[in-house]
Amino acid sequence: MKSNPDLEALSDNTLMIQVRDGDLDKLSLLFERYKKPLYGFFYGMNKDAELSEDLVQNVFYRILRYRNVFRGDGDFRVWMFHIARNVRNDHFRKDKIKLKEPVERWNDKLQASEGPLDEAIRQDNMRMLSAALAILPEEKREVLLLSKFQNRNYRDIGEILGCSEGAVKVKVFRALQELKEVFFRLEKRM
Amino acid sequence: MDNAQVKELIRRYQEGITGPDEIAQLEYLLETGTIGLEAFHELGTIENQVHNLETGLPSQSLDDAFYTMLRDEIKKEQSLFERINVPRYQLLFRIAAAVLLVMSGIAIGHFLDRPQASDGQVHQLSEQVSELKEMMMLALLDKEEATERLKAVNLTQGMNEVSTKVTQALFRTLNNDENVNVRLAALEALTPYTGDERIREELVRSIGKQDSPLVQLALAELMAALQEKSSLDALQKILNNDRTPEAVKRKIEESILVMS
Repeated sequence: MKSNPDLEALSDNTLMIQVRDGDLDKLSLLFERYKKPLYGFFYGMNKDAELSEDLVQNVFYRILRYRNVFRGDGDFRVWMFHIARNVRNDHFRKDKIKLKEPVERWNDKLQASEGPLDEAIRQDNMRMLSAALAILPEEKREVLLLSKFQNRNYRDIGEILGCSEGAVKVKVFRALQELKEVFFRLEKRM
Repeated sequence: MDNAQVKELIRRYQEGITGPDEIAQLEYLLETGTIGLEAFHELGTIENQVHNLETGLPSQSLDDAFYTMLRDEIKKEQSLFERINVPRYQLLFRIAAAVLLVMSGIAIGHFLDRPQASDGQVHQLSEQVSELKEMMMLALLDKEEATERLKAVNLTQGMNEVSTKVTQALFRTLNNDENVNVRLAALEALTPYTGDERIREELVRSIGKQDSPLVQLALAELMAALQEKSSLDALQKILNNDRTPEAVKRKIEESILVMS
């Protein structure tokens, strides 16, 4: 897709308002902007590449379908992540897929995905962190991933989760504490 | 708690010697904005690492799927736009509207020019106008375009009485139309006739046929307004359905409470 600098400069809300008003092509710009963060969010939550792509597609399908309800007075990213959470919840509710897997299974996955022991320490740590993140309870994993993809904008995350900015900070605090504990637990088992 | 105490609390946390009460105090300080997450350096480092985690990239197939969907939607929009602009349909509708206007004019003219005209004559003319409206409505209800069907449903407004044929057509629309807006309009059009027990019974039957939360809600609210207790079973079924959105369930529960 060719990029046009003028179009690139348009705000998310401006583009979405144009989509709402019938200029559907503009959705492709929003897609290009957000397919990676959305994919990263879903992949971080599910560790399933194919499913994550399906969920991203569903998010944009819903944006297209419900474009008429976009008022434009809020932040597009917040609206989009609202939709993303709903899409994911609906998927797991519909298919009755278990959201949590026991720690032991994740350890197996971790071992299976480990490379030679002499790999760089940083890479090992990152893999372990990724595994630790996957073990965290869903709501803690979610708040950390939202922090990542919303660039620590705790006020916006509060809007997405339906709680105050202060409450989000407490959630992040608790999630990070648990992540640290799980990380060290995994490290000891290595 | 003064600054020194806060610092001491954070120091104790970083040394890993805080108890549950002190953790709760730290959370309170965080929530109230007295301290920020950056006060906890080690956690900040972990958070940074989470932010640096590679979460992979979507494949080309996501792009393909998205652009196919977008193209389909654009085509659909364009074809809808073209259909709406087909002069033949507009012309037909305009002719029908013109005939209706002329007939109404004749009726009014008769009434004004002949004040001594009998009630029977006026009644006869207004019946003719109603019949014409009904014919138009039934014809428009079969149209492919949702906008035409909406016009059809709206034609019933202003009719003092409607025939069984019209109410049946409205129920067919309420139960089967693919467009939620048209179904909602049909429900609204039926509301003035809920004095008729048969209409109320048919509305209760319609509850079980709806899959749109919006129509389910509208029906539940109407049942509550009518105090139609025979609808309780049908509404309860919607409540028991796992697919019913929570917000709709709450509203339906409210409606049930009003009737209980």
